[in-house]
Amino acid sequence: MNEKNIFCYIMVAPALIITMLLGIYPMFASMFISFRTYDLLNVQERGSHWVGLRNYYTVFADERFVQTVIQTILFTVLAVGISVAMGLFLAQIINARFRGLAVLRTLILVPWFVPPAIASVIWIWLLNTDLSPINSLLRDMGWTTRNIRFLTDSSTWGPISIPMLAIVAVRVWNGLPFIIIFLLAGLQSVPKDYYEAAEIDGANIVQKFIHVTLPMLKPVLLILLALLFMGGIGHFEMNFIMTGGGPRNLTNVMAVYAYNQGFLFFKFDQAAAASGVILMMSSVICVFYMWAQSRDNLR
Amino acid sequence: MKKSRCAASVAALVAGLAFAGAANSQTIEFWTQHYADKLNWNAAIAELIEDFEAESGIQVNHEVVPWSAAFQTWLTVARGGAHPDCADMYWLHSFSAIGGDQYGPMPINEYRDEFPTLEQDFYSGALRDVIWQEDFYGIPWRGDIRAMIYRTDVAAEVGIAGPPETWDEIIEYAKKMTKRDENGNIERWGFAFGSASNVVSWLLPYYWQAGGEMMTEDGKTATIDNDAMRAALSFMRDLIWEHEVVNEDSMEQGFDALPLFVNGKIGIIGSAHQAWGVRLDREYPEIDGTWAMARSAMGPDNRSSFSGAGYIGVLRGSENAKECVEWMKFLSRDENMLRLSKASGAVGTKPAVMGSDFWSDRPWKVIVGQALEDAHTSQHPAPAWSSIATPKPGAVLFDLMYDTIILQKDMDAAIAKAQERMQAELTR
Repeated sequence: MNEKNIFCYIMVAPALIITMLLGIYPMFASMFISFRTYDLLNVQERGSHWVGLRNYYTVFADERFVQTVIQTILFTVLAVGISVAMGLFLAQIINARFRGLAVLRTLILVPWFVPPAIASVIWIWLLNTDLSPINSLLRDMGWTTRNIRFLTDSSTWGPISIPMLAIVAVRVWNGLPFIIIFLLAGLQSVPKDYYEAAEIDGANIVQKFIHVTLPMLKPVLLILLALLFMGGIGHFEMNFIMTGGGPRNLTNVMAVYAYNQGFLFFKFDQAAAASGVILMMSSVICVFYMWAQSRDNLR
Repeated sequence: MKKSRCAASVAALVAGLAFAGAANSQTIEFWTQHYADKLNWNAAIAELIEDFEAESGIQVNHEVVPWSAAFQTWLTVARGGAHPDCADMYWLHSFSAIGGDQYGPMPINEYRDEFPTLEQDFYSGALRDVIWQEDFYGIPWRGDIRAMIYRTDVAAEVGIAGPPETWDEIIEYAKKMTKRDENGNIERWGFAFGSASNVVSWLLPYYWQAGGEMMTEDGKTATIDNDAMRAALSFMRDLIWEHEVVNEDSMEQGFDALPLFVNGKIGIIGSAHQAWGVRLDREYPEIDGTWAMARSAMGPDNRSSFSGAGYIGVLRGSENAKECVEWMKFLSRDENMLRLSKASGAVGTKPAVMGSDFWSDRPWKVIVGQALEDAHTSQHPAPAWSSIATPKPGAVLFDLMYDTIILQKDMDAAIAKAQERMQAELTR
């Protein structure tokens, strides 16, 4: 091992140690607990013993959990899909040069400065049925006569409900700046010659987007989608703070379910099993991403 | 010469360390949550500590645990995390069970004689919160009694002279107070069940008022499948759907009765924290004279009011239990309990405190004193109680309330299912 390598290892070591201690170890400890009994109310008395997949059977036998799994996927697909679509559109706009660009960029980036927990609290007030300024505005404009129950209406269209859409909107609002910055970096690395060549070939703006921009953004998009889907599967704070999973469990997601099992019902074994499902789903996305990347590299 | 100087230095160092060690053993770590105004609370505790240190020579390091992190903090402590010597705690039964005989709250039976007049000095209901499985854990210092609160200006507007005295009057008065615009949007709800964010705590007083009890005294048998539960749930359901005087969304997260009450958008709250009196006086002086407190309305059986409590106890693993007991003895004096009560706005756990001028200088405080006569402890002798009463989907009582009150499912089936689930929780 030469000096350069030793230096590299020393530089990486702090991050590696922190990741091992705060990321990898808890992850394996949680997986370990998911195969054992671990009821906080009696673990001192009865201890913890191996039960195999029983905790997984138990959580999947709970219809709330199954509903939560479906909703987590739906939340993620909606939030990621809308965010990326809007991100692509807005990134194109702020990639152009025009007067007021700096102001527009600042406005678009503002939600990024608001931590998700604070954003949730602000939006709880903005979406409160009786106090919402949005409802007042809609009524004043004559668009509605009855207040919309943004976070409490339990009527559904399949698995979709107004509270679910409201939380998706807040997640998109808060997460969009990150996506735009990511995509903007990708857009700025696309050589202008490609667009000029496409123009010479007679391509219109949509054709340029489909045949030049998208293929060139593919590596960036792949990383972005992998990150967003993994983050989405484990998303917690907005659903937890804004609705706690209600009404009627319609906005519950797996991370909130796991938290409730552990910290409210003291069933750490079932919480660990629910977390295990999150880990497995995230792993599938991660493996898919790595496969897609290695396939591209081989080409 | 050099050798003797060196030896003297070492001796001085050893003596210094020994002295420091001895001094350290006279320092206790004390954690509390914060109450009412945080600055006032810290100042009040600092003054108490100063007096105690001057009297006993024992130093107290005070740290505040924010309420937002309190549950996780005590859960971590009960699982062997960093802990103080003594602290302001709650949910003795659950945290004792979680900590077992290794962590969490520590019984201090050997110091029980240090409080020879405990039974005479404290309310008996408050003492129930510091005794678990016949072990003595500390001194109760705060009560959380709930009473009715209503807008007197709204009552006058609709021609009502005083607060509702019975369940029937609640319906009648709430109907009069409810107001809608021409499109059916609510301008004022006549009634709200409770002020707490824990919606399960709303059910308890109505169930008790109907004559029910959640479990047997030994905490081993669930007793919720009865007519009292049917009466309480039917009353709550009908207020929403039949009489349309309660917000149907009030069980959802984010519902906050305080701004609605302050803005006159709620007429009556059936079960409001007594601390609201302090908050309304301090934070909303502009609505003084437009609200009043009243005793809980009479149900089919009685007029029980929700009552919670907090206590100061010692933590397992502390090497300063004796010093903590000295601190607790100091705090449990009438004048110091009054100082705590004034700083926190929480009702006292001693008749001597509640008989003071402080607890009679405002009309609402007199009512709070009367409500103590209706107090029914919300503590239940079962470690799983906090899990059963958690205000989240998946918890036994929340699901029962949501299914019957909001979703209007078959009541008998829902109660039977809840009874079965609760029994399973009690035998966990």
